[in-house]
Amino acid sequence: MTQLTVNGKTIEVEAEPETSLLLVLREHLGLTGTKFGCGATMCGACTVHVDGFATFSCVTPIEMVEGAEVTTIEGLSAEGDHPLQKAWVAEQVPQCGYCQSGQIMRAAALLAENPKPTREEIVETMSTNLCRCGTYGRIVKAVQRAAEEA
Amino acid sequence: MTHFSRRGVLVAGSALVLGIGAKGLIGFETAQAADSSLLDANAWVRIDSDGAITIIFPITEMGQGSSTALPLIVAEELDAEWDDVVVEQLHRDDRTYGNPIFGKVLYTAGSTGVYGYFDTLRLAGAQARALLLAIAAKHWGVPVDSLTTEPSQVVHAASGQRLTYGEIAGLPADGIDLPEADKTALKHRDQYRLIGKEIPRLDIPAKTRGEETYAFDVRVPGMLYASVLRSPVEGETPVSVDESAALAIPGVRQTVTLPDGIAVVAERAEAAIAGKLALVVEWTTAAPAHSFDSDRSLADYAEAAEDLSRDGATWREEGDGPGTIAKADRALKATYRSDYAYHAQIEPMAAVASVDADGKGAEVWAATQTQSWTMRTITQVLQTKPERIRLHMLTMGGSFGRRTALTQEYLRDALLASKAVAAPVKVLWSREEDLKFGWFRPTAAQHMRAGLSKEGKLEGWHHRVASPSVIAYFNPLRWSQVDPHDIIAMRGSENKFYQLPDMRAEHIITERGARLAPWRGIGASYTSFAAEAFMDELAEAAESDPIAFRLQLLQHNPRGRRLLERVREMSNWGRPEQGRALGVAFAGYGDSMAAGVVEISLDGESGVIRAHRLWAAIDAGLVVAPDNARAQIEGGIVFGVSSALKERITIKKGEVEQNNFYDYEIVRANEVPEIVIDLESIDASPTGIGEVGTPMVAPAIANAFFALTGQRLRHMPFTPERVTGALAS
Repeated sequence: MTQLTVNGKTIEVEAEPETSLLLVLREHLGLTGTKFGCGATMCGACTVHVDGFATFSCVTPIEMVEGAEVTTIEGLSAEGDHPLQKAWVAEQVPQCGYCQSGQIMRAAALLAENPKPTREEIVETMSTNLCRCGTYGRIVKAVQRAAEEA
Repeated sequence: MTHFSRRGVLVAGSALVLGIGAKGLIGFETAQAADSSLLDANAWVRIDSDGAITIIFPITEMGQGSSTALPLIVAEELDAEWDDVVVEQLHRDDRTYGNPIFGKVLYTAGSTGVYGYFDTLRLAGAQARALLLAIAAKHWGVPVDSLTTEPSQVVHAASGQRLTYGEIAGLPADGIDLPEADKTALKHRDQYRLIGKEIPRLDIPAKTRGEETYAFDVRVPGMLYASVLRSPVEGETPVSVDESAALAIPGVRQTVTLPDGIAVVAERAEAAIAGKLALVVEWTTAAPAHSFDSDRSLADYAEAAEDLSRDGATWREEGDGPGTIAKADRALKATYRSDYAYHAQIEPMAAVASVDADGKGAEVWAATQTQSWTMRTITQVLQTKPERIRLHMLTMGGSFGRRTALTQEYLRDALLASKAVAAPVKVLWSREEDLKFGWFRPTAAQHMRAGLSKEGKLEGWHHRVASPSVIAYFNPLRWSQVDPHDIIAMRGSENKFYQLPDMRAEHIITERGARLAPWRGIGASYTSFAAEAFMDELAEAAESDPIAFRLQLLQHNPRGRRLLERVREMSNWGRPEQGRALGVAFAGYGDSMAAGVVEISLDGESGVIRAHRLWAAIDAGLVVAPDNARAQIEGGIVFGVSSALKERITIKKGEVEQNNFYDYEIVRANEVPEIVIDLESIDASPTGIGEVGTPMVAPAIANAFFALTGQRLRHMPFTPERVTGALAS
């Protein structure tokens, strides 16, 4: 049994301590908004916040986040209206949408740390995450919009 | 997902149903029930007395935005209030809804969603509107032609009376004949208030909240997980299997032998994955695929392309291409190469199946580009009839051609595993599996030949593509109908936008050396590279400006000419910034045309090409959803940049050498150019936007590289090693 705090709720999880946080979130807790993409820290589809830091949940064993605050896309905002989520709609960013939870979580961690990033800072930070549909230009614009409107 | 509903919920309602047959509408029905009523206007439209207007979405969504664009076309002619529309995914193989372009097969590919369905959907909307008018006219006792519509309302101007579509759905419709719908009843384009307007995509809000459900996300009660150890080389089978370590893992239930692998089925995903890793299997080594070697294949293909005594299957022939070249003042030739490419959609393969106890029925959750071939896969695997299958078609986490095949192995494996363990089973692929067992864009060698007159005029064009048939592998049923004409391998080489009175494009069909599938842009993703890079070589030989040289060949094609003129202006052609160069290409996809100019620079030491800006002008006819069309073109261009600069699958001894995104890299946010798009909606039929952005990119980059360095890049991708190699030559 491992005790996790996910989106403000404390939950007991019946999984081996080395099980990845991603698998536990998705398959044990049903929080499927966080995605599996590569399992190798290369794509960022699995990005969640651990104590506010953008983290690859696919390579994070649950034993490492015991006692930490884990936030997923489902817990980013109560009504799905985080400034970034609104900006993502305004800029019509998603196409297939599969990578976008991870993109938004990556961007949210950036804005929490650096509320007024330069374009270059946004591009560099967002280069951690892959988008095969090629929405990069719109992602950058949406982060800029959210930073301006926040 | 709230904007999609499932069909078959007429429990407490009534419905007016129109059936559309091959020649149009064949009937409609109303059904009455206790507390509400529904007008099932036709196969495409159902109107509820509460005002909800349900429109069927006949194809599938992989990010291209058709799940908004297609219903929008119906809603336009229906004159529906867009906010009243609920989109319903078609979950079965019902050829009533098939794409006319594909002989009514349900197949989401080739940028044909809007292109193929435009007339069908407009007529369906117009007919449903005509039915609403007829019911209202009868109710009021007035002539139909005294009525008009406003969004979701029928209006009788003379009396000032109005009925909402929902109110009409609750009225009796007996005695009313289903109105004919013909093209003369359709709106004039000036009257459009949805088509061509900036209507947001319906699927986007859910996709910003993690609420969209993909196949990878499906969880059903009692579900087990399967991880599949697949034969490392196509066609090999197990000689011996030691499953003891796998079965010792807590939660592992059993193994299931599959046609090309062994599934470990477990109660939890992590146990299935660990179980697969613990399997000890010795495989046979005698399959023909053991000799697959990408370098050798490409060398063989190049030899075949250059061997003019070897005739290919004619893809397009006008006049006498080879004969005209032979008579020309000068003949030029060059051979272009391109490597295997992987789809790299971010969602790996996944499917969930729950096979019935008798093994002859199933509930299935899948996300593919074709309800038809998915249903076929299921019925073939279970040896059963479609009526026994409850299929849920979900949205795809990208696809780009990956999920198009006649037989879908990820789904087959879920069915066989579920049948064996008598429980619902979810098959999940890792990234490594998705890559190593990918179905790729083929490697190809292309030999280009053309003649030039003394005045530098193009005289004769000959395009020889040596590649295996893609269709023969991914859809043998289709190949039996079209052999030897492989549109997937050859598209683009028809080169139909230029005036080429003497031309030949032919396909030298070579031996297959990998699993193959369509890939965004299909043949055009490499045939346009060869054709448009070669066009630049001809312009150079003719001492002509590359744009001026192309414009000469477009005198009959004013729409195409306009695109090149636009990018010439947008890019400030001829005046590149210091240290940078511009390259042009004119290509497209199907009937859609694209001109592009790219600005690049080069780090001479590392050999890394950087694309800074790309200006594109696109003609795709009428544009239904402009912002989404721009998004698709942006995405298509990014795909093209990635393919041109980075993407390369290599195969040795039958095994793919790459593993994951660390050795099969796709472009990231800091590697894409700033993209400027000119997309004018033209008063002509819509021709597709999903792939038009991709084909022009690689040749434009190769041509810019020549402008920068004086060297030609004739092997895609233009990796740093190839760039430094070209510079040293």
